[in-house]
Amino acid sequence: MSTADVERHDGVPVVRPREDVDAANAAALREQLADCVDPSADRLIVDLGGTRYIDSAGIDMLFRLAELMRQRRTRLLLVIEPESHLARLAEIVGMERSMAIHASVAEALGARAQPSP
Amino acid sequence: MSSPGGAERPPTSEQAGRDERTPRQLEQMLSLADDALNYLSLEEMLSELLERVRGGLHADTAAILLLDEDRGVLVARAARGLEEEVRQGVQVPLARGFAGRVAAGRRPIVIEDLSKADVVNPILRQKGIRSMLGVPVHVEGRVIGVMHVGALTQRLFDEDDTALLQLAADRAAIAIDRARLTEQRAVTEIMQRALLPDDLPSVPGLRFSAKYLPGGSGVKMGGDWYDVFQLPTGRLGFVIGDVVGRGVLAAAVMAEIRAALRAYLTEGHPLEDVMRLLNELLVGMGRHRSATAALLELDFETGTLEAVSAGHLPPLVVGPGGTITFLELAQGLPLGIRRGGEYRSRRYTFDVGSTLLLYTDGLVERRGESIDEGLDRLRAAARRACTADESSFADRVYRDLLVEATGLEDDIALLAIESLPMGPRMEITLEAQPGVLAGLRRTLGRWLMGEGVGANDLFNITLATSEAAANAVEHAYGAREATFRVVCVHEDGEIRITVTDEGRWRAARPYGRGRGLAIMRALVDEAEIERLTTGTRVTLIKRPEPTAP
Repeated sequence: MSTADVERHDGVPVVRPREDVDAANAAALREQLADCVDPSADRLIVDLGGTRYIDSAGIDMLFRLAELMRQRRTRLLLVIEPESHLARLAEIVGMERSMAIHASVAEALGARAQPSP
Repeated sequence: MSSPGGAERPPTSEQAGRDERTPRQLEQMLSLADDALNYLSLEEMLSELLERVRGGLHADTAAILLLDEDRGVLVARAARGLEEEVRQGVQVPLARGFAGRVAAGRRPIVIEDLSKADVVNPILRQKGIRSMLGVPVHVEGRVIGVMHVGALTQRLFDEDDTALLQLAADRAAIAIDRARLTEQRAVTEIMQRALLPDDLPSVPGLRFSAKYLPGGSGVKMGGDWYDVFQLPTGRLGFVIGDVVGRGVLAAAVMAEIRAALRAYLTEGHPLEDVMRLLNELLVGMGRHRSATAALLELDFETGTLEAVSAGHLPPLVVGPGGTITFLELAQGLPLGIRRGGEYRSRRYTFDVGSTLLLYTDGLVERRGESIDEGLDRLRAAARRACTADESSFADRVYRDLLVEATGLEDDIALLAIESLPMGPRMEITLEAQPGVLAGLRRTLGRWLMGEGVGANDLFNITLATSEAAANAVEHAYGAREATFRVVCVHEDGEIRITVTDEGRWRAARPYGRGRGLAIMRALVDEAEIERLTTGTRVTLIKRPEPTAP
């Protein structure tokens, strides 16, 4: 059983973790995300809308995955509700340096195809 | 019952040229009162007894078959001169064959000429047995088997022979009954120990108590069970269930259900899916046993209870003000009846100060009474149980309901979960493994809410503590049964949390703790890491913003 639900929108995988992301499930989630990295899609969207806490193990995992994807010329996009606790956390650890952060899945899907920052 | 040709008959006393023997003499002849027999294992005892029977009756063979009630067959258990019968596991259906007729008719049967009789067991003929005598083996009026002797030369077993064989059979019955009770008690105890949770989890702010009582005389194992476990989300799962029927098979089915439930729940399936999957699994296994069960998930941080039922009695909730309600469950089909069962879960609030009581029907059902009467009695018992004493809630309800009940036939299982106020100091010891982090965050969240801490501070303190705890888990990496301790104190407008582990300070890794430390420092006012001789202690201090009253 996976820790996240996966949907595809026009071929773009959107992965939504069901619960918190922490040291207990970060590795399993990484496996699941890596399986979704698809050469035909230019991006992978991780929707953190159902996630309350994400700890340093989860954040590290996302940073490393973003780096791997950059090397493969695809992008990791995060969906985080603006003004939320997670948005503030993302700011504290500087997530926007490695991955684009969007307010909604629709916005992430509509984002212009461009190389990662 | 009599076979064709008149070969079979009740024993007669017409017998010329035999000694006049009294039962006492017969007994002496068999040395059945020999105390030494008491110290043998059942196997040895039966074997020895049959040997003495064979000698005493000048017979060539002697055997004992025991009744398997579930399958309605007699199974060879011990034999002398007929050892193949046991080795080959000979089975004789009730009412058929020689032994089957003895058991079904509950009376001795004599066969003078086996060649003319209806015999199921081919070994009897192969051995060349000509004449036979069989008597029922009974315990308290119930036939539990058959003892028989055979002769290779034709003879007519008489009344004295019958009396002697019956004495031996009675002696065997006592030993078999005693051995079965001992064995079943042992099996029951082992099963219960294996199947019911060793100990209930320790979660600050929650108190668990449970009671399990096998019905009948304590040897008729039933299929009732309860279970409590931590889910990967940090929520708690509770299960109560009842497999229809008795005996080790019911218990075995219960064990299967319990294992499957744990697996489905730990994998993170929603409750409704867990029930559906379980139903399909049970029907698919073809066990032909159904079960009722209620499955609940408690988010103790938010006080939300979700429940799904497969034909189980409604759980009882005592609210903080003492109001008593039964959860109105959306009832689904009992498990294992047919495929395609659908189950709906419902949500309820479970506030601090509430008690949840899960139970099986043995607690409330009495012969000749409606279920509503039983539920009313439970309601009254739960109300009285709210008056605390040194015993647990489950014990109080149980004592109240069963103090006057006698001759309980059914099993009883009950599990109580009390949600208690936590106070300004909370302490929790956790296993040093990452699976505990989600539960810790929920426990902490609940405590902070109870202390009136607002949502922002709650997030910050909880995540910072979770980071410190993740460090403690990492320090203990590879250590067996390592634990760490979290102490939370709210004092002088300050939340102070210490996380203490017993692990050595490990070399910094390229990722992880560096960022974890940065997160902790950013989220709380003070974060201090101390290296102790015994391990590491992280102290986090946060002065929460005042919240609107």
